[in-house]
Amino acid sequence: MTLFWQIAIGLGALAIWEWGWALHDKVPWLVPDILDPYFVSKPSEIYRQFLRMGCLVSSQGDWTLGTPGAFEKCIGRSENNLWIATYFTLKNTLWGFATGVSSGFVLGLLLGRSDRLSEIFYPYITAFNSIPRIALAPIIILAFGIGDASKIVTAWLVVVFLVFFNTFEGARAVDRDHINAARLLGAGEWQVTRTVIVPSTMAWLFASLTPAVSFSLIGVIVGEFIGAEHGIGRMIIEAEARGEAAGMMVAVFVLMIVGVILAAGVRRIQAYLLRWRPASTMAT
Amino acid sequence: MQNTPPRSRIEIDRLRKIFLAEGREVVAVDDASFRIDDGEFVALLGPSGCGKSTILNMVATLIAPNGGAIRVDDAPVVPGRPIAQVGYVFQKDTLFPWRTVEGNIGYALELAGVPTGERKTRVAEAIHQAGLDGFDRFYPASLSGGMRQRVSLMRTLIARPEILLMDEPFGALDTHTKLDMHSVLLSLWERERQTVLFVTHDLGEALTLADRIILMSARPGRVKADFKVDFPRPRDAVKLRETPQYAELFSKVWHSLGEEFAKGRSA
Ligand SMILES: Nc1ncnc2c1ncn2[C@@H]1O[C@H](COP(=O)(O)OP(=O)(O)OP(=O)(O)O)[C@@H](O)[C@H]1O
Ligand SMILES: [Mg+2]
Repeated sequence: MTLFWQIAIGLGALAIWEWGWALHDKVPWLVPDILDPYFVSKPSEIYRQFLRMGCLVSSQGDWTLGTPGAFEKCIGRSENNLWIATYFTLKNTLWGFATGVSSGFVLGLLLGRSDRLSEIFYPYITAFNSIPRIALAPIIILAFGIGDASKIVTAWLVVVFLVFFNTFEGARAVDRDHINAARLLGAGEWQVTRTVIVPSTMAWLFASLTPAVSFSLIGVIVGEFIGAEHGIGRMIIEAEARGEAAGMMVAVFVLMIVGVILAAGVRRIQAYLLRWRPASTMAT
Repeated sequence: MQNTPPRSRIEIDRLRKIFLAEGREVVAVDDASFRIDDGEFVALLGPSGCGKSTILNMVATLIAPNGGAIRVDDAPVVPGRPIAQVGYVFQKDTLFPWRTVEGNIGYALELAGVPTGERKTRVAEAIHQAGLDGFDRFYPASLSGGMRQRVSLMRTLIARPEILLMDEPFGALDTHTKLDMHSVLLSLWERERQTVLFVTHDLGEALTLADRIILMSARPGRVKADFKVDFPRPRDAVKLRETPQYAELFSKVWHSLGEEFAKGRSA
């Protein structure tokens, strides 16, 4: 039943998008201006544009997959076609995610377990955290150039704080009794860290992974908006410059798919690594 | 026949502990003294809040006393320096939730660097002794309270501590599960005859398990009386309760204990 409504709503929205504008001249009060295909294109047009941008049909309108070599030729013609752009965006997102998560985790652990360090760094962290990270993107592009590095740094910057704060909280919340139990069972300082503090902090880290991967993608796209050679963000900017609503929409849809796949992947890893938690507290 | 004097394993001498709670001083333990000999099973009995856990935590080096001395195997205890031959079973559930039954029980062996092969055998044996066969790969979250307590017990016992501190390990269990656990503990103890200091406020439990009952007064905790429990061993946790000797000793200690509970309420 739920599925029925989900499909019905989806099809309904697509139908309004596709044909709604046709009613605009007759009943203008019913159809808002935003449905103008000049801004939002139309599903059918977006689909055709997707086939062209993805080199699935040639400029003549034939399927490339039927003709040997046609697909490669089409791909070779452009510096930033759909596949290359997706590859670069995905790659930089994952790098930003990986570096942000690992450095945020280590920093959070260090400061969370040391009252001295956390006292010293507290004002700096609060100050930095008050800056909207995206505001730094132009500076980063200036400093690191328009290549991959600047995108990774931007993504890292948005991810690292999120992960840091979660890990920090988690490191403070480690159960004293677990530490005592480990000590009395013979654990030394380092063994306590490795076998108690890290695993119990992990639970908090994981709670931040799903937002972290989305943040990383946002960081990369913003970086690409400002200056890039490849990537879906650049693709959107180019389409905008040519006034191609369909092109922008294709890029947005690809981003949506990328985002869904990344989030689902992270959730699977998370569910596996947190399998020891009782089902009722799996909410995060 | 010559009698060698029994070796002292735990000695507590005029131990004091004062806590500061919201600007107020709480005397938790006041001049408590006792001695436990090798192989003795001693129950520390007293009303809630009389400082039983505090004494155990001091012996286990988790907190520092404000006065007096503790000696384990004739060596003074230094707070923060756990003693290798002492094992502690906590009042609270302190199993590592991210480790399986197997992982929790084998933890101490892992720390000690026992080779995987030997570790596996010893863990499997411990799981069997605790009656947890088939639950090796379960996480604590999916075990019952009684099972978790058995895992806790084996996690401590696997390192073969000669001295065992137990803080109301079965306090949260229902009567049946508790009796069950008494049988498990007694049969394990019969084999190794560890020196045990067992905290409880359940008189029946103390009589079932111990050779001696040290009765503590209501807060501030001090030692009020020391009873010998000379029921023959090996004991049957259930049948023992039906003997007249049990009933007699029960009522004797009960009166003493009753006075302390009454004091605890009026304090
Ligand atoms: N960390 C602490 N800070 C302040 N007061 C404490 C602390 N730990 C214990 N106390 C106080 O010391 C007294 C003795 O506590 P303790 O936990 O040793 O009692 P207990 O005999 O183990 O009681 P129960 O049978 O309920 O476990 C109590 O009044 C308690 O409030
Ligand atoms: Mg207690």
